Formats: sequence, structure tokens, C-alpha cells
Amino acid sequence: MSSHATTHSGHDAHHDDHHHDPGFIRKYVFSTDHKMIGIQYGITAMLFLAFGFYLMMVMRWSIAFPHQPLPEWMSWVFTDSWKARWLQDGKVTGETYNMFGAMHGTIMVFLGIVPLGFGAFGNYVTPLQIGAPDMAFPRLNMMSYWIYLAGGLVMCASFFMESGAAKSGWTNYSPLAGFADGQIVNQWLAGQTQWLLGLVLLITSSLLGSVNFITTIINLRARGMTWMRMPFFVWAMLVTGFLLLLAFPPLEAAGIMQLMDRVAHSSFFMPSGLFTKSEGLADLSGGGSPLLFQHLFWFLGHPEVYVLLLPAFACVSEIIPANTRKPLWGYKSMVYSVLVLGFLSFIVWAHHMYMTGMGAAVSTFFQTTTVLISVPSVVIITSMLISLWGGSIRFTPPMLWACAFIPMFGIGGLTGLPLAFNLADLHLHDTYYVIGHFHYVVAPGILFGFFAGVVHWYPKITGRYMSSWLNHLHFWPSLVCMNIIFFPMLLQGMAGFHRRWYNGGDAYLAKAADSANVFGKTVAAHIDMNILMSMGAWTMALAQIPFIINLFISWKTGRKVESDNPWEATTLEWATPTPPGHGNFTFDPAVYRGPYEYSRPDCDKDFLPQWIEPKREESADAADAAKTPAAHH
Amino acid sequence: MEIPYVVTPRKDTGLFNSKIAIWLFLASEVMLFGGFFSAYVFLRLGADYPWPERTLPVLPGLINTFVLIGSSVTVVFAWAALKMRQWNKFRMHMTITVVCAGVFMVLKGIEYSVKFHHQAVRLHDYTVVEGHLGYEMEDGKHVLDHHGHHIEENQIRIEATGLTFSTVRFHADWVEEMITQAEHRKAKITLASDIKARTEEGSSEEVTIAKAGEPLSVELLKRVQDAHLKARAHNGALRTAALRQEWAEAKAANPGKRGWQLASNVNIDVKALEDSKRMLTEISTASFKVEPAARMDFKPRDVKEGATQSRLRDDTVIDGKMLASPMVFHNVDAIDFRHLAMKAVEKGQDPIVAIENSWLIKNDEFARKAWEWNKQEVAKLEKKLIDEYGIDEKTGKPKREPTAKERYRLGWQDLARKAESEGHGKLGAVERITEEFKGPNYEARGKETFPELSVPREEIRFASKFTPSWNTYYAIYFTITGLHGLHVIGGALVLAYYLLFGRKMYETNPEWLANRVEVGGLFWHFVDLVWIFVFPIFYLM
Repeated sequence: MSSHATTHSGHDAHHDDHHHDPGFIRKYVFSTDHKMIGIQYGITAMLFLAFGFYLMMVMRWSIAFPHQPLPEWMSWVFTDSWKARWLQDGKVTGETYNMFGAMHGTIMVFLGIVPLGFGAFGNYVTPLQIGAPDMAFPRLNMMSYWIYLAGGLVMCASFFMESGAAKSGWTNYSPLAGFADGQIVNQWLAGQTQWLLGLVLLITSSLLGSVNFITTIINLRARGMTWMRMPFFVWAMLVTGFLLLLAFPPLEAAGIMQLMDRVAHSSFFMPSGLFTKSEGLADLSGGGSPLLFQHLFWFLGHPEVYVLLLPAFACVSEIIPANTRKPLWGYKSMVYSVLVLGFLSFIVWAHHMYMTGMGAAVSTFFQTTTVLISVPSVVIITSMLISLWGGSIRFTPPMLWACAFIPMFGIGGLTGLPLAFNLADLHLHDTYYVIGHFHYVVAPGILFGFFAGVVHWYPKITGRYMSSWLNHLHFWPSLVCMNIIFFPMLLQGMAGFHRRWYNGGDAYLAKAADSANVFGKTVAAHIDMNILMSMGAWTMALAQIPFIINLFISWKTGRKVESDNPWEATTLEWATPTPPGHGNFTFDPAVYRGPYEYSRPDCDKDFLPQWIEPKREESADAADAAKTPAAHH
Repeated sequence: MEIPYVVTPRKDTGLFNSKIAIWLFLASEVMLFGGFFSAYVFLRLGADYPWPERTLPVLPGLINTFVLIGSSVTVVFAWAALKMRQWNKFRMHMTITVVCAGVFMVLKGIEYSVKFHHQAVRLHDYTVVEGHLGYEMEDGKHVLDHHGHHIEENQIRIEATGLTFSTVRFHADWVEEMITQAEHRKAKITLASDIKARTEEGSSEEVTIAKAGEPLSVELLKRVQDAHLKARAHNGALRTAALRQEWAEAKAANPGKRGWQLASNVNIDVKALEDSKRMLTEISTASFKVEPAARMDFKPRDVKEGATQSRLRDDTVIDGKMLASPMVFHNVDAIDFRHLAMKAVEKGQDPIVAIENSWLIKNDEFARKAWEWNKQEVAKLEKKLIDEYGIDEKTGKPKREPTAKERYRLGWQDLARKAESEGHGKLGAVERITEEFKGPNYEARGKETFPELSVPREEIRFASKFTPSWNTYYAIYFTITGLHGLHVIGGALVLAYYLLFGRKMYETNPEWLANRVEVGGLFWHFVDLVWIFVFPIFYLM
């Protein structure tokens, strides 16, 4: 660590480097500073999340009121021309619903959650927590962000094309996806092709990102930051990095092959003798395998779930010890669990494919691994739960979210178990039960973890607290609405509601009003829940307004922090000036102990940060100092 | 601020940053190519057609293998030279490396371009014919399309009397081509009737947007399109407002009822809307007549042909009867009955009988003779195998038998051998070696070896150039080798950058340059390693 900013004077340390003041563009737009890039990722990802949320609100209208025109408070965003193309007398059509559904999933997963968790939190916090001046490759870091943005824009641009955006689900299964938009002569301007191009860009971005993260964590740790002294946050990011690094390439392969199917008319995923209503007998060589796409997709798809989840685990596991004032319970078992989890996530993918007729032996294998992977997840979540036990909990704003994360993620995780079993999955596959399950994981689970993270690190980023009052106004309605939206999904799913009904089961009722399924449940008895759920979804949009206000208002008017370590936490990011300048630390950081030394009996204060040099007995002369861990070379 | 461990390795890990990064990157590359090679295995094991074996030219592939291995050695020499601070030696070895990459790409380029010009067709009875297509000729001259390119004799020909375009979706390039073709055949494409429309809300007069008799042009279609899109947007808003009104009334009249219980009775009164003159005229199609009726040619992939009406992919409807549209091979260079034999065996038929009943054997003199010659050759081969390997005593069958390829495929080498045995198409040594790279030499060997063949449209099941669309073998071959080629180009560009622009860094921080070359070299080794897998899998197996 050769050079750092030189003064210790807290808040304005970043003004020191006057001689290389980079100018507005280099500082805020094409910045190579991991903190600025993290903020860019964060803001962009939140915008995409808002867009994905909006798509969902339109879909929820179609589900609840399929025969009524989209109300003006939602449809004002579109031009008349767009509405004439995609809405029928103002009603959402099946085609439009499919487009919004596919893009909702894609945007939320690839453009929202992953960039927010890995790109934003990972970028901002990881180098600070390991005591590094920046990422190992700052320019590569900048490139990751811009490629991500380009990928996102390419995907979303297709909303305005004649073809519309992709309509074949976020999983983009062939041959459905292979035929979609086949009527478009210039395939490069078809939504389905743009989706693939965007995806290849996004994969490139996460690939560069993950190489950068892993290198940084391996090589740029401060003196004394041994592996088992790394905060759990950093471990989670390391595993996330490896998942992205190794799981994404097979999807890139699948994406390239599907792109070839589209623009070079190959038949990678198109079987022989394919006949469609629109095209008749397909003018293709055939001989390909639709199942191959599913295998390659889910080889990424499942690790991807953990790419979403681990950053949320990471945030929560930092916030809990800081607010219970006791060490994270079972730090080592959590670390080993997250490693095991990372490994196992590579061999569970085909549990998404029980219905494809892979054969009983294959299904049984994947059922076994899937049940196995719940063990490390449960170890982690249980450790978090036990960490609360006996602590004198400070219910600070971030802690509120972290406390809600645990049961919400718990519901999401446990409802996954029935889906892991072949037999139960036969019934629940492709129903709203599945939607309820994974949305519990992602929305009130992972997103709550991220809200916790935003509130927790906001004082470090801006030097001000977010408003606690607005936070309450955001938190409680969100918590209630999340459950109003997603809990009925589990019930509807068991009643047999198919996940892709664009009219919420209405057309089904017209055909079979009183047919009960194996559970003795009927669609008729559960269809009115649609209205309740949709109301919950729209109310939740309102509940996000306090957050947006809070995010911007507090930047200027929030209560100022009293010190560089406002939560009295122990990890290295709190040793930097507020906000940290370019180069992060004003001293050469060294680490003397584990990451969660709270309430040590031998200590006056209830926390002992990693960077505080231990007091020496008697003479602290030069010879003794040389034996301390700080001096290892 | 300075990032540590850019040049010197960190003590406890023993690595500098970019070395970790390149190994991680290569790990992900392994997963990427792993994905493709898994796809290869999946496709090959699941193929429902005879997987092409040893169809690629081995000699250029073999040369490329040695070229790449050689360059992997020189890149290490270049790195070692930098470590020893010998700039000139570095420059020499790096130049060789980059030149090797160039040689590799040139050979690859020749291999690709031969395939892109090579046509294959699968007939309805699964006979496969390969060769080169002829070009459309008139009065001894090539017919050109509106881009000025030759047109292959593989077109759907329609005697067009009328054309109806979708005003939203028409493809401008195709419109231009139709105009060119009509001019060429001295026909006129003109608007069939006036296009009139209400373009302002409430006005009772209709505006004429285009007059009957106006010649077809992209500009005309765009003008109609503008009016149509404007009307569509306007009407959409009106209809939506009307439906909102209906729902408000229905809900007020039926309190407590659910939307799905009312839905079937809530509809817009479209007639009232139209009578109110508030709706604008939507013009979703525009019809033209072709006078006098003229032949128009379309690429088979673009058109769904019908006896009296055909449809292009952009929703253009062509009225007129379909003319004979044969696919004409200028030179046939292979006849392949493997797929046909495979299908016959699946159905429990004798493959030889099935072949001899095929359309090709029945209708083409050359094919019939070639097949007879092949049967004799197979008989000779069977005898030779028995003489060499003997007969299995338990089963009473020969220990080795000819492969399906030997039995049922007449490749270009076979046809050349047949013609040579009849005294045609003797070639010199140089021409023979050229054939190893560029495929059969039609000019020198002549029509006795590679004859003409005209295949009627109705016999064709599927036709393609030797591109990814021909079958999944060529699809995966082009994808993997293409991606590998991109890696070669990318790697060579990086190495060339160190070669051409590395001098300044060499003078200021030679160790850093050496690190960079080391990292680039690791990548180069990986590119080589991929080829070591590609070569046997695609060229030899």
C-alpha cells in the first residue's frame, strides 16, 4: 500500500488530492473509483427495478381486470401510437402480457438485483472492508458498468420496435423463442434477437466484474487480513464472484447458439419436423435439441439464484452484529456453509426440469442434491437467527429491514422444499405456487436485505443518516403489501392457477367453472384474490415513494454523522473518512483481529474494531512491535 | 493512489494481480468452451441423421495445428527474451507469433469461403446432393439483382399479376428488388385503386392519399404508412375511451358484480363510433397490379409459395401462379444416400432397394451409372476387407465391413476417381494439392466428373449452403471454430500491440511489459489448447 490520501481530517479528506482533481466527467461519469462505480450501479439498478416493477403493475391489471382498459394512471407513459399497437381497445393483450412478463423477469434478475447486490454493494463495500485502495483493475471496473448499461439499454430499446421486446419468458426456451419474431425480416432489429445481444453484453459485464472482485479479494487484502478475519460480507462476495465466473459462460454459449438459430438459421435447439401454425413445416434442417437449451440455461439459472441471494445475506450479516452488539454467531460455520452452498449450486440445475421427461434416475439425483443444498442455507439463516438471541438489539432503521429479512426469506426458502421433490413438483410445477415461492425469496427477502444495506451504509456514503421516520413509512407498508401480494399466490398455486394465465384464470372459469383439483380446491374459489393481490401491488408502489424521497432529501438535509463510525461497527469500512476519498484510507490499514469483536469482556467499549492496534504490556519498544501481526511482511 | 501488486507479486500469494485475473478468466473460458463441447456431445449423440464424419479437409487443419503450436513456443521465447532484456529477440519472436496467427486465419478463411459457396439439397426421399449452383442467365449474360449481384438458379418464380403490401411491415429492400425485376421484364407495377381516407376527425370529406395508377415506390408506401399509423393511434384512443365509458356504465348498473361476470356484455358500439365520423381511416394494406403479368423471383427462404397465391415473410401477398422453379446445379460433386438408407432401415426396408427406387436414380442417367460403379467398388472393398481381416468363425460374417459412408456416399474424390478410371479429368500435382485446400476443381475436371443436374422444386425437402443452417454438425462446427477464430484475432491484436507499442514501456518499466506478455502468452496457450480439442473432434472423428 504505497500511497494514500494524507490527512486524518474526517469529512473533507477527499478534497486533498487537488493536484489530480479529475474533473466532473472523470469523477462522476467515467469514474474509475470503485465507490463512484458502486453508486452508479446502485442508481442504475434501482431505475431498472422501478421499470420492472411498473411492468408488473400493468400485468397485475391484466390479471385482476382482464376485460377493462388499462386505467389512465398507468397508461399515460405510453404514446397513442404504442397503445394502438400493443393494447386492444386499451386492454392488455396476451401478446403484450407475455412481453411484459418476459421483460419483468429479465429486468428484475439481470438488470436489477444482480447489479444492485454484486455491482453496487460489492463494489462500494468490498475494497473498503479488506482495506484496499480500490479494485485491482479500476478501468476494467468502469468498463463492467458501461457494458452492463449498454446491455440493459439494448434489451429495453426493443420495446419501441415493430416486433416489441422479447416475449418468450425470462428463460427464453426454444423452440418457442426460436420462432418468436420470425416475421421480422431484419432479425437484428427483432426484440427476441436484441434480448440475446443484451444478454451477451450483460454476461461480458459480470464476467469482467467477477474477475476483478476475486482478484481484489485474493491479492489486495490489507496486512493482517487473513482469510478467517474477512467479514462474512467479503466471503459472500467471493463466492458470488465464483458463481458468476463459472456459471454464466454456459448460458453465454446457449445465448450464442440461440443467436445462431435466429440469424444464421441453424437448428441447435430446433428438432426435426417442427410444425407451427404461423410458419407451417419449419424451413430448417432440424436435428437439434430443445432440452439442450434448458440444460445450459439452468446451469446458469440455478447458481444465479444464489448470485441474487448471497449479497443480501452479506448485507444482513454485517448489520445484525452491529445492532445486537455481539459477534455473529457461528462465523466459521457460516463461511464453510457459503462455500458448500456455492459448490452445490452447480449440481442442482435440473430440478427446474422435472417435467421434461429426463428420466427417473436423473430426477432422483437432482432431487437429492436440491434437498442437500437446503442444509447450508439453513445453517446460515439459523446462525443469523441465533445471533439475535440474548443480544440487546438496537432497532435502528437498517436493523428493522434485517429483522424482517429473516422470516421473509425463511418463508421463501421453506416453500421451495415441496418443489424440490419430484412428486410434489408434478402438481405444483408452473403454478402460482412457484411464483409465490421465488418471489418470497427475492422481493421481501433479498430486496429487504438490500434496503437494510442502503440504510446501513448511507451514512458512510453521504455523511448523513437517512430519516428514520420516512424509513418507518417505507418499511411497514412494504412489509404488509409484500405478504398481501405473495401469500395468496401460494394458495392460488395449490388451487391450480397456471403462472402464465394473462387473464388471471378468467378464461379457465368460462370453460370449467367448478372443476376441483387433487387438493379439492377450485379456481372459482380463489379468483377474487387476484384483485386483493393487485391492490397490494399498486399500494406497494406508493410505499416506495417515502424511500425515494428519503434517498434524495437525506443527501442534503439528513442528520449529520457524529463520527466516521456512526454505528460503532468493527469492520474496516468504518475506519475511512466520511465519505472516503479516492484511495480510501488515510492511514496504512492493518488488521489485528476477527471481524465481529463486540462486547468483549476485556474491553471498556462494547466494540473493538479490526484496525485498533492491541495495547502492549509494559514496554512497547521497537523490538516488540516488530513481532506483532501488524508488522508481517 | 496506486494499486499494489501490479508489477511485483504479493508475498503470501506469490502472484501479481493480472496473473490471478488471467487464470480466472481462463477458468471462465473453459466453462464457455465446455458449454459448446457439451453441446457437441449432446447433438452428436442425439442426431437423427447420419453425423458427418471426416468431411473437413484434414491437410489445412493439420497445418494450422502446427502453426498454432509453433506460435505457442515462440510466444514463450518472446517472454523469456523480455525477461533477459533482449528487445530485438523479443521483437523477432513476437513477430513470428503474430504472423503465425495470420497464417492460421488465412487458412481458416479459405476453408470457410469454400463452404459458403457450396450448396446442398435434401430431397423428399432423403437423398442428398451437393455441388455448385448455376447463375441466372439471359442472352448469355448474368441477370443482376438491384444490388448488382448475380442471382443463383435457386429462386421461386411467380408470374405475378398483383402485389399487396402490409403498410406497417413491408421490407423496403424487397420492394426495391420487385421494382427492379418488373423494369427488367418491361412490366409496370401501379396502384390498383385510389387510396382515400378521412384524415381529420369529424370531416366528412375523404382525402386522396394516392391515386390509382401511381407507380410502386418505397416513398408511396411510407406515405400510406404515415396516414395509417396516425389513424391507428387516433382510433385506438377513441375506442379505449369508449370502452372505459361502457365499463363505467356497466358497473353502475350492476353493483356488486365481478368484472368477469359482466365482461361478456360489455362491448363498444363500433358502428356508432364509425357513424360519428370521429374515426379516421386505417389503411393496413395497399394493392398494386402488375401489367403485363411478369415473372418475379424470390429467395426460397423469404417466401411461402402457393399454386396461385404466395406470401413473403413481411406479409406481402403475391397473386399469380407459380412457375417451374428448379434448383440447378452447375456441377454436382457428391451424391449421398446415407440418410435415405438410414430412414429405410428405420422402416425395415432394404436400403439398396430404397436407393434404387429413389427419384435421383430413376431420373438421372449420371447418378444411375455412378451408383452402379459404386456398387462394384463396394464389392471390391468387401472382398479386400475379407482378404485382409478374415471372417469371424462364430458368426460367419466378415470381421470388418465397409462403413455406411463407404457404402452409400459418393464424395467428390469418389466421383473424380470414377471419371479418372474412365479417362477424364487427369490433374497435375499442383492442381491436386490446391484441391486439398479449395475443394474440387470443376474447371479442370469438367462435366464428365461433375455433371449438371436440375432438381424440380417439388422434390426438395430442405436446401442450404454449407453454412450453420445445413445441419447441427455444421452449426456447431462454425460456432466453435468461429469463436475460436475470434479468440485468435483478439489474442493476436493484443500481442501485436505489445510488439508495436511496447517499446516505451520497455524503456520505463520492462518488468511490467514482461508481466503483460506473460499474461497474453497464457491466453495464447489457451487458444492453442482449444484448437487441440477442435482439430480431432471436427476434422478426424
